[in-house]
Amino acid sequence: MLGVTLSRWTMSYFAAALAALLVGQGLMTAGYGFPSAPLRAPETLVVVHVVAIGWLSLLLCGALFQFVPVLIARPLHSNTLPLPALVLLLAGLGALLAGFLQLAGTLDPAPPLLPVAATLLAGGFALALYDLARTLWPARPLPLPARFVAVALFFLATTVTLGTLFSFALTTGLGSQPLLAIAGAGLPLHVVAGLAGWLTLAAIGVSYRLLAMFMLAPELEGTRSRAVFWTGTAGLALAVLGGLAALAFDAALAPALVGGGILGLVALVLYGADIVHLYRARKRRIIELNSQMAVFAFAALAVAAALAVTLIVLGRLSEQVGALVFLVAFGWLTGLGLAKLYKIVAFLTWLECYGPALGRAATPRVQDLVVEARARTWFLLYYLAVASATVALLAAHVLAFRLAAGAMTLATLAIAAELIRARRLADVSAEIRLPAGAQRPHLLMSIPHPSR
Amino acid sequence: MFIQTEATSDPARLTFLPGRAVLPHGTLTINDRAAAARSPLAARLFDVRGVAALALGPDYITITKESGDWQHLKPALLGAMMEHFLSGAPVLSEPAHAAAAPVSEATGKLVEEITQALRHVIDPELGYNIVDLGLIYHVDVDTDGLATVTMTTTSPGCPATGYLSDGARERAASVAGISRAEVKLTYEPRWSTELMSDGAKAHFGIGTGGRR
Repeated sequence: MLGVTLSRWTMSYFAAALAALLVGQGLMTAGYGFPSAPLRAPETLVVVHVVAIGWLSLLLCGALFQFVPVLIARPLHSNTLPLPALVLLLAGLGALLAGFLQLAGTLDPAPPLLPVAATLLAGGFALALYDLARTLWPARPLPLPARFVAVALFFLATTVTLGTLFSFALTTGLGSQPLLAIAGAGLPLHVVAGLAGWLTLAAIGVSYRLLAMFMLAPELEGTRSRAVFWTGTAGLALAVLGGLAALAFDAALAPALVGGGILGLVALVLYGADIVHLYRARKRRIIELNSQMAVFAFAALAVAAALAVTLIVLGRLSEQVGALVFLVAFGWLTGLGLAKLYKIVAFLTWLECYGPALGRAATPRVQDLVVEARARTWFLLYYLAVASATVALLAAHVLAFRLAAGAMTLATLAIAAELIRARRLADVSAEIRLPAGAQRPHLLMSIPHPSR
Repeated sequence: MFIQTEATSDPARLTFLPGRAVLPHGTLTINDRAAAARSPLAARLFDVRGVAALALGPDYITITKESGDWQHLKPALLGAMMEHFLSGAPVLSEPAHAAAAPVSEATGKLVEEITQALRHVIDPELGYNIVDLGLIYHVDVDTDGLATVTMTTTSPGCPATGYLSDGARERAASVAGISRAEVKLTYEPRWSTELMSDGAKAHFGIGTGGRR
């Protein structure tokens, strides 16, 4: 017995994350924030943090509570800590958004809420980090996918630290000159640490294992995969840690960012080669919708890398950085997140509901909990809308962007409805829906089997 | 998991009681690292510096030290034992079917019935029965009607592992003539699609290059 069980609060994280994604997309559709407002406007910060913390970070934390134990074949340190972490993160996100609205002048500026938000968010992420780190620590030396996650957790801590620094700089002030220098010009480092260091690195690590599991492909731990890890980690360390040092010592930020960017690009090219190999070497010829739809996310990552290089060569990165970040957040991270969520929710629901009945009664398959043909339409609409929205941003066409964001919202709503149907067993035929021994799952949390 | 220790008359030997089955039948003495290769547990214990020999029994492990103080050796040995038992690895690594003991006709029939019963357990992810997927490595029945199913899962650490082994135990125990069933999980050898039956391979389009 390997002791890996259901993570009790993962579904709660997923539900909160999806709600935040819909709020973020709704705001973009309504014309709130960029591109209707400037990139650094408080309104844009509201949308960005609803998506980055509310959607992507909660999604990833929820997924890691379930899948870090799978990566290392050991149980989660605590199945209880994720709940207070979630409460702190949601409270912190609420306070953060209110703090931005204070900056926008929408809310009364007193008392300043950004430091409160930073404290709550730091507390929530610290609990999540502690739980995951305590889970990973005894499993050293870590298998490759778990190493990606470990480094990603380090960059999560870096991102949160920088965010905390900004919140105090914007309200109570900072007494230290180097810290002021970092707070004044460190925004690109906060973005790189969050989007690339935390979210992308963790997604890459988990994708190695999940793709191999779901497609019966060989698990990759070879030279190229290790090179992805080392070049990616080195690139991020150079960009973020080198960048911090540059700012603290009053030096230019560009060399660290350019050097880190080049290494990051090498890592992405190698990762792309690994992904192509995984798909080609798969034993399962007919792949499920999650693996099919993940292809579009990988394509979005490739396009984003190519777009970044093109914009740098053309000298237009700073004016188009909004489109680039949008493509990374919604094409790559959200695309992969929704595709894998479609599989994971059905899989975890199956385990919770039918696992206890296995061997005692006939049970449906995981695939019987979903209707892929119906969901495929919504995924295709989603990716089409993301592509359109990216083009609209590049062309600075606000109305077209809002229309595309509306289509994204609609597609996400439909995918969320599919996930709720899976959770409710709505698509399982009535004869085998609840055999003897099966337990109907709760919508928002999982009850691990008592004997587990 | 709580592992007790018992002193022996020989101060160089210490007995550990892990509170669970170690070697179901008989005892096994291992005097060097080379001989430990057949037992993942013994191999792990020989990794601890200072272990000279060990003996495995039904519910105990006796360690003979060549050097060092028990005060220093004990934590490392307890850690190695915990790691082993929590990893799900078998105590002995040779596939059970290699032990080609003569099988009576009645036992052979029971094994066949258990195998058939195990076909009612499906791997939730692949939606196919665990026998034809090649997840059942061996089925054995002793004279007391104790069935032992040695099985694996498609991926170590899979959250379905506990449910699959419970399901297999349940089905094996449901066969008439079986008094009790045990499931041993092993990841040696690791599962691969090569272990699937021809029917399962055809179902998944493996080896044919075609699609289902």
